[in-house]
Amino acid sequence: MNDFLTSLDGLEQEAIKALGNINDKASLDAAAASYLGRKGKLTEISRKLGTLDPDTRPAAGARLNQLKKKLTDLIEAKAESLKGRIEPEASFDYTLPGRRSFVGRRHPLMQTVERIVHIFRGMGFAIATGPDIETDFYNFDALNTPENHPARDLSDTFYVEKGILLRTHTSTVQVRTMQAQKPPVRIISPGRCYRSDTPDASHSPVFFQCEGLYVDRNVTFGDMKGVIIAFAKEMFGPDVKVRFRPHFFPFTEPSVEYDFSCMLCGSKGCRVCKYNGWLEISGAGMVDPEVFMAVGYDPEEYTGYAFGMGVDRITMLRYRIGDIRLLYDNDVRFLRQF
Amino acid sequence: MKISYNLLKTLIDFDWPADDLANRLTMSGSEAESVEQMGAGIDGIVAAKVTSVENIAGFDKLTLCQVYDGKESCRVVCGAPNVAKNQVILFAPPGSKIPGMILEKAVFHGVESSGMILSEAELKLSDNEDEIAVLQPDIKPGARLEEIVDYRDTIFEFEITPNRPDCLSHIGIAREIQALGGGRFQLPTIDLHEIAEPVAAAVNIIIDDPDGCPRYTGRIIRGVKIGPSPLWLKMIVYYLGMRPINNVVDITNYVMMELGHPLHAFDYDLFTRPEVLVRRAYAGEEFITLDGVSHTLGEEHLMITDGELGVAIAGIMGGEKSEVSKNTSNLLLESAYFDPARIRRGSKSLDLATESSRRFERGADPNMAPTANDRACKLISEIAGGEILKGMVDANPGPFVPVKIELRPSRANDLLGCDIPTDRIAQILRSLDIEVTVNGNIVAEQPSFRPDLTREIDLVEEIARIYGLDDIPAVSRPGGALATPETRQHRIGERLISHLVGAGAIEIFPLSLVDSKTTEKFGLSDSAVKLINPLSEEMAVVRPNLILSTLPVIRRNLNFREKDLFLFELGNVYYPAAKGRLPSQETNLIIALTGLESSVFWGDRPRTRDLFSLKGVVEGLADYLKIGPVKLKPGPHFAFEQTRSFEVYFRETLSGHLGMLSEKGCSIADIKGEVYLAELSFEKMADLVPETLSMQELDRFPSADRDIAIIVDDSVPSEDIRRAIVRNGGGLVDDVWIFDLYRGRNIPKGKKSLAYGIRFRLPDRTLTDEEVDQAQDRIVNALEEKFGAQLRS
Repeated sequence: MNDFLTSLDGLEQEAIKALGNINDKASLDAAAASYLGRKGKLTEISRKLGTLDPDTRPAAGARLNQLKKKLTDLIEAKAESLKGRIEPEASFDYTLPGRRSFVGRRHPLMQTVERIVHIFRGMGFAIATGPDIETDFYNFDALNTPENHPARDLSDTFYVEKGILLRTHTSTVQVRTMQAQKPPVRIISPGRCYRSDTPDASHSPVFFQCEGLYVDRNVTFGDMKGVIIAFAKEMFGPDVKVRFRPHFFPFTEPSVEYDFSCMLCGSKGCRVCKYNGWLEISGAGMVDPEVFMAVGYDPEEYTGYAFGMGVDRITMLRYRIGDIRLLYDNDVRFLRQF
Repeated sequence: MKISYNLLKTLIDFDWPADDLANRLTMSGSEAESVEQMGAGIDGIVAAKVTSVENIAGFDKLTLCQVYDGKESCRVVCGAPNVAKNQVILFAPPGSKIPGMILEKAVFHGVESSGMILSEAELKLSDNEDEIAVLQPDIKPGARLEEIVDYRDTIFEFEITPNRPDCLSHIGIAREIQALGGGRFQLPTIDLHEIAEPVAAAVNIIIDDPDGCPRYTGRIIRGVKIGPSPLWLKMIVYYLGMRPINNVVDITNYVMMELGHPLHAFDYDLFTRPEVLVRRAYAGEEFITLDGVSHTLGEEHLMITDGELGVAIAGIMGGEKSEVSKNTSNLLLESAYFDPARIRRGSKSLDLATESSRRFERGADPNMAPTANDRACKLISEIAGGEILKGMVDANPGPFVPVKIELRPSRANDLLGCDIPTDRIAQILRSLDIEVTVNGNIVAEQPSFRPDLTREIDLVEEIARIYGLDDIPAVSRPGGALATPETRQHRIGERLISHLVGAGAIEIFPLSLVDSKTTEKFGLSDSAVKLINPLSEEMAVVRPNLILSTLPVIRRNLNFREKDLFLFELGNVYYPAAKGRLPSQETNLIIALTGLESSVFWGDRPRTRDLFSLKGVVEGLADYLKIGPVKLKPGPHFAFEQTRSFEVYFRETLSGHLGMLSEKGCSIADIKGEVYLAELSFEKMADLVPETLSMQELDRFPSADRDIAIIVDDSVPSEDIRRAIVRNGGGLVDDVWIFDLYRGRNIPKGKKSLAYGIRFRLPDRTLTDEEVDQAQDRIVNALEEKFGAQLRS
């Protein structure tokens, strides 16, 4: 009797271990046959039941049945867990690349324009556009630029004929917009601009500007600071600081230049910020009363601010691009990086 | 504008170190572009007396000198031509330092040299490197360099905005420091020792053109000795970025840098008459300036003459003939005020800009003219000797009349968004030496040195920058609703771009200026806007289409072995208008394809792009924007191969062209290989985009799909067959698509096999097999009849 039970115990141990190691259906079927089949090990042992003492036979029979059920359950459970599984194939190479098309890219300059426009639209600015080829009235006269100002020279500005030129800034759009509507006016005007600069690492005869204008009653210099600071933080992160320095432009007064703290070195000083921690961004100011007069606004009733920014420069800062010409060369090895 | 820290200190008291000063001035509007420490790397330099000079045999230029430095005598080899016995010179003994080197005993051609006799250039005190520095004879040997001249200085380079001519001087910057909280600035004291003879008897001033020359002052000094300036003067002139010339010229330059007023010294003996006549130049008048350049003048130029001949182009440059030279003895010193616009025009037309013209054209201070004259006279008499004639001739036909400016403190505060008290405003203006009276409002009197202050707003700017832009609070506040609609163009443009990017295209952004030769070769010269002053031929035309700006991009990339290109740009093109009218501007879309189709799967062979690749992109775009169907019609285009040149129609509207770049185009653009281009009018496309969309009910009944394959003549357009299928389907055809085109084995020559999938469907019930069979039979019969089609089994 004891020998009989011991052999069952041994078989149980062995079967549990063997089933645990099985990972495919074929092995499972083989294992099931080897334990429970007609010539299986359990069947072999059960044949010895008849040789036992009749007194001990019922207990031994119960144990035998219990084990039989246990193994059947185990095999069934294992079969369930193996259901639907694809058999392992050595040839299946999941490291091969996926099947796809090349993705396209937006030009980094245009990505930046969109970002800028998006930020200002969020602050309630409308997009305004105008012609690249302009009259000197919109580019200079209406912006209080003196007749003998050097910016009007042939050496600075491209002309198509006398009095018709390629705009040197998108302030032209501001003038056109103000002529066309009464305040309040709140616009952002992105666009190509042109200056007679020989191309080098930081100059391009064609470049991209985005200018903003807000005219209404009670618009203050403090509002202008607020908008530019909000833009800086949204564009370059909450740690960016902005400083405003007095400057001079014919079309604004007071005029400022605004700088962002250098995000490349964290204002510690680097080549890009010329080791002073600040990056010159562009100019801004309160619209000069002469400009309001040129478009028929009453400067006593309305005040406003205007600001500019070079999208090229912001793009270069944003992506650490060292040479403006890369933006206009359109080398796809460059464009694919953004 | 270069500014010396040491010179500023003689004009005003302040205790800010150099960097602090640079920052304060930057934040008040004079941006410090650089701050340079002068006199660095100098140590142990002393005065010494040359006690003997011997030639070294075999070398004409080298001498062996004995110098006494107050303690001992040293033997020194010297290569300078001007070394002489009894000179007091600057000596660098062994162990002393000059910029870039530490002196040691050295052997030159076998002769030992214990130190070095220095030039000014070696100490960076001037640019004179050919001669040794010779000091005043009364300087004692052994005196240290720092006791002789204050060579340690900080030189700032400030960017002065064009509205602030007053800041092109040390007193201007000193006044800014005063306003920013420094001490009170003080003009240098000037006490002149004049002789009894009155200047009025020696020179007569006649101003023929009082608009051009509102003020002219003159003084005469007799018996000056022209020579090199003392070391301190050479040094400061050099530190401030000018070349030391001689004592008199250096003094006029020094006074200009100090007081901001340009001066000119004439050799008065070279005047033919004792007279100064200021007049317009005659048309065609010839004049040689002191730089030796001959100019032909016109009536726009203002001349200083001696009554007959020109002696200077007023405010710009003196003449060669009356220039101060080493033989000059009697000086006429001019300190005048000229009209800014006249000087600007003159300088521009002659292409001649000088330190003097720079100041006059921005606006000098008319009331500084006499002071500057006195200051220069005093320095000349001290340094170059001579006797100053009594008094000054001062012709002032157009005296300065200050503008009275009324300033409302409330207006200033409203504009800035501040609450600055009136007395603080008045104090700010006074600190800038602006006279103000306060009586509720403020009335300010324009100072003669501030041509930029004429309006209330000009004063508001002064208040803002001195009060401090940092102290004006930045405001963030909600505004009322202000409708700022996004334009339809912008909205559609963004959708178009995102579709193309998603389809695998790379956006390019080339210059919109294109090559004039290329434009001409394509025969587009007459229909393009040309610049009258281009930088170069390659950027001389404003592009009349996007193809011209895209071809160089394709060439560049092909040259870098980037052969598989899928590019696009949404950009402006320009067409000429009648003279005096603005050229017109339109927005186009260009799509360019070359090389292989852009799939990167290892299981497929990539397909070479062809016209259908491009048509597919256009169709996909039309589908996305809902502006289809797309139709092509053969039509000529300047850039395309005749047989591969098509008009593109979106929903029957001609909207552009597509095709394959012609052989000629390839050779003009220097491109090899096949290039497929589409240039489409964005405006036309945008107009077709439906403003609103309404959903269609989904199909509720199943469709029946059938395939048919037919053989037809090669010349039958597949589109005609497709249309015939739809037309003959008895209203049951829901969709037709071509899924195979085959030529070759089993198909007769000159024929092709086309296979179509046809979907039959009705919206309100399920079709029976018989209905579908009948429809299909009708279709097959029609195709047989119409196109001679033969059904393939």
